[in-house]
Amino acid sequence: MGRPLEETELVARARHGDAAAFEELVRMHQGIAFRTAYLVTGSAEDAEEAVTSGFLKAYRAIGRFRRGKPFRPWLLAIVMNEARNRRRSSARREHLALRAAEERRPGDAAPSPEAAILEDERRRALLDAVGRLPEEQRLAVVCRFFLDLGEAETADVLGVRKGTVKSRLSRGLERIRKELPDDA
Amino acid sequence: MRDLERELRELSSAIMVPPTPDLAGAAHIRLGATRPAASWPRRPVVLALVVAIVLVAGLAVSPARTAILRFFGIGAVQIEFVDRLPAVEPSVPLALGNKIDPSKAPFPILRSDLLGDPDAVYARGEVVTLLYGSPDRLRLLVTEIGHSVLAPELAKKIVAATTNTRFVDIPGSTGPGIWIEGAPHIVVLADAPPRLVGNTLVWVQEGRTLRIEGAAELDDALRIAKSMR
Repeated sequence: MGRPLEETELVARARHGDAAAFEELVRMHQGIAFRTAYLVTGSAEDAEEAVTSGFLKAYRAIGRFRRGKPFRPWLLAIVMNEARNRRRSSARREHLALRAAEERRPGDAAPSPEAAILEDERRRALLDAVGRLPEEQRLAVVCRFFLDLGEAETADVLGVRKGTVKSRLSRGLERIRKELPDDA
Repeated sequence: MRDLERELRELSSAIMVPPTPDLAGAAHIRLGATRPAASWPRRPVVLALVVAIVLVAGLAVSPARTAILRFFGIGAVQIEFVDRLPAVEPSVPLALGNKIDPSKAPFPILRSDLLGDPDAVYARGEVVTLLYGSPDRLRLLVTEIGHSVLAPELAKKIVAATTNTRFVDIPGSTGPGIWIEGAPHIVVLADAPPRLVGNTLVWVQEGRTLRIEGAAELDDALRIAKSMR
């Protein structure tokens, strides 16, 4: 066994029909791809379908992938698009679930039951506020804060310029602030 | 004033995301080369997306349960590999929908210069079929579906795992096509009854999913595919 192949080498091989190389690319990126799709659709089933379909489309389209560009945002853009389509067409509107406050802090002093309830309520309200954002702003928030992508990568995934990402985030955050006063 | 950006980042770790299914693992996705045919100049590659080993409950074609070993899509067509083909009526009459004037098809259909005008055109929902020959003496069927997004409710193929299935390059198409040859497989188009069919080529072209049924050899099917425009 040699050293793991670099991503660029895997992409080059996949472009020439090396299915094993594409499989390795899937393995490298399936985690964030699934998280992306789940955060957009809110359904594990829809997310799995979106990722599956996204990977297949990526495999078919890899000949059009521009050499030298980063692979992850290109792939995530395809998965994001699949997930958006499924969210639009799905009758399901499942809410993302949150861990209870005490579950999140192994090692930390447990909050008082009252504080935990308040914290949970605040987070639920915050998540709901994100869910009510217009799609463009919501997806920018998802990419930047829930997927921890940089501005440039967010721009690539959403197919817009960095300045557009900034303005969507700014409008989204402003809207959330208006909906959720500090003491909410 | 609260730091909203920090709150959102913290919120991210509190969102419960189900475990990622192992799409690349042996149980889920497998991509590998099939044995190339001796006369085959290309290097055929089979991409087999194994989503799960699931049982088809209530499959219309057989009361017996058939295990889907893996499935993947080419355009609108879902192709399922099963451990064994479910039983179907051996002589199901062609149910291609209503005979239509080609200009009245639900989307602009592609034609083959090589084949010329079809003897009849049928539509069943979004599935349009160009028939060459007659329903009793079928020479060739070209099926067109007006989009390229996976739609198993419109088009599904059920293929025995042992059937020879491979990806092929289609001239003029951006993605690979799939050639199924050898043992008959089952096709289910729209709400038509499942029927057994022979060699078939499926590919995507200009936003449509196309399918040729009845070409004896792959080279014939590829020549027809190349002539579609």
